[in-house]
Amino acid sequence: MIRLSNVTWRYGSPTRRVAGGRSADPATALSGVTFSVPQGGFRWLLGPSGAGKSSLLRLLHLEALPQSGELEILGTHVGVDVKRATLARLRQRVGMVHQDFRLMPTLSISDNVALPLRLERRDEAAVADEVAAILRWVGLSERSGALPAELSGGEQQRAAIARAVIARPGVVLADEPTNALEESQSSRIVGMLREVSALGATVIVATHNDALVRRFPAPALRLERGRLTTDESSTP
Amino acid sequence: MSEARGRRRDGLALSRALPDRSLLAMVAAMSLLASLTYAGAVGARALSSRWAAGAANLVTVQVPDPEKLPADTVSGSAASVSKATAHGDGASSASSALPASQVEKQSGGQNAAKPDMTRAAAIEAVLQASPDTQLVHRLNASEIDKLLAPWLGAAGASALPLPAVIEVHLFHSAKLSADTIASIAKIAPGSLIERNDAWRVRLLDIARSLLACAALAILLVGAIGAAVIAMATRLGLGARRESIEILHGLGAVDGYVASRFARRVAGLSLAGGMAGTLLALPPLAGIARLMAPLSGGGALNFGSGETGFSIAETMTALTTLWGETPPALLWGLGVVPFAAAFIGWITAQVMVRVWLRRLP
Ligand SMILES: Nc1ncnc2c1ncn2[C@@H]1O[C@H](COP(=O)(O)OP(=O)(O)O)[C@@H](O)[C@H]1O
Ligand SMILES: [Mg+2]
Repeated sequence: MIRLSNVTWRYGSPTRRVAGGRSADPATALSGVTFSVPQGGFRWLLGPSGAGKSSLLRLLHLEALPQSGELEILGTHVGVDVKRATLARLRQRVGMVHQDFRLMPTLSISDNVALPLRLERRDEAAVADEVAAILRWVGLSERSGALPAELSGGEQQRAAIARAVIARPGVVLADEPTNALEESQSSRIVGMLREVSALGATVIVATHNDALVRRFPAPALRLERGRLTTDESSTP
Repeated sequence: MSEARGRRRDGLALSRALPDRSLLAMVAAMSLLASLTYAGAVGARALSSRWAAGAANLVTVQVPDPEKLPADTVSGSAASVSKATAHGDGASSASSALPASQVEKQSGGQNAAKPDMTRAAAIEAVLQASPDTQLVHRLNASEIDKLLAPWLGAAGASALPLPAVIEVHLFHSAKLSADTIASIAKIAPGSLIERNDAWRVRLLDIARSLLACAALAILLVGAIGAAVIAMATRLGLGARRESIEILHGLGAVDGYVASRFARRVAGLSLAGGMAGTLLALPPLAGIARLMAPLSGGGALNFGSGETGFSIAETMTALTTLWGETPPALLWGLGVVPFAAAFIGWITAQVMVRVWLRRLP
């Protein structure tokens, strides 16, 4: 479950403020964003480049805290006074697929995928089983010993998804996961994310691939210049 | 299966997430330098303390006409004493006679001599009674013969009217008192008192400056070593900043990430420190072999004709050179790798935590 209420966020110093209305301040990535997604919901996050899609996902992954407004993730209220340990625990329950994958370059694919489980200090036998199962699901069983640099873009994308979902997080966020992928690969990846949602996770996928959105119909959130212009889930 | 081992060691298989070799090599080099400097300082201390001890606080008193009765019991006039300061080699000595009147004025109540003694015996008694003297020894005839043999040959020394020679070992920083000197002049006018003060003071100065240099070197090498290890750690971690931020994004808490990397860095530094310290041992053994004759406690033993290398001999040389302080040497050398590990550990802890603090 995700809930935002009048959330504003700008890059740089939180005290810096440029006088002027609406989107006059170029550093303001999000302003007055309000929406909520129920547990298990799937949302497309749409908008032109520079609209604030990545910024919103970073905020939901707690890579930054909102300067104003209310943010609630998985039942936890995230304010400026939230404890670091609370944020860390919450991050373990929010899986993020970055646009640039962020796989550890010196670790093999299986070690990369295993990281969330090892951070939870699961025992190694269980880790091995889970990693094997998830790599089978994303079709990377053969590449488990390879380094990220030895994988194609689509394979790295799938490895990043495997790592994001292996610990069964309550929220999964994906930033343009089909960028630079061919049509069949894109469908496969969106299919996986729909599966994760069906298993109970709240999933938000940022994209500007309209064909893909048409093929996988789901409520969309549309951002423009940091403002939420459409929330299809609120207008049934 | 090194991958599995690495994973078990740090829990996250981060062993390959750090550039091992450059950190290891740099720490090894610094540890080698620190070990050599430290051993040099300990060796310098051993040498200087031996030198200082060797330059004993020694005074020689020559008594002319030793078998006569003391002058003050015969006549109270014309007494004089010559005081000389010997230089290091003892060959040249500048003598200056004190005017008898001055000596007379200084003379005090010290009078351990009995009237029926010879001059030599009376002076020996006066010296023995002085609180400054540790040991008083009058050379016997054969000792004097040995002393004079290079000049007079084996025979005939005893035919000359030789003065008595009394060796006096003073306490560490004591001097013969004016009273004692005056008494000697009174008992045997013309007595010569030779001190090795200048030589001794110079030797002590050399020893002291040697120690100061060694201490300075240790401080400098220690500081530079710490800085180099810290820099190597920063460099190594800098290349892994992205990995640290990825772990943070996956929900690892600061302390966990910091301790993983710090433990890894400390392990590498410890290994590098041990390698460097071990590398320092062969050159140290060589130096010890060269220096052993110079630092030997007793007689110098140059040109023993030994060539080649023997382990037993090297061990003897090591224990001879650092014989006085083997615990300090071993303790200090043993500390080097752990100091390196600690510096690496603390640098990694601080750096990782500072980086993570910038993220929410
Ligand atoms: N690191 C940053 N520092 C400052 N401004 C940024 C940064 N990243 C993005 N922005 C700005 O924030 C706005 C939103 O960017 P972003 O969230 O990346 O949009 P999108 O993902 O929809 O393309 C843009 O105006 C962009 O220039
Ligand atoms: Mg973006």
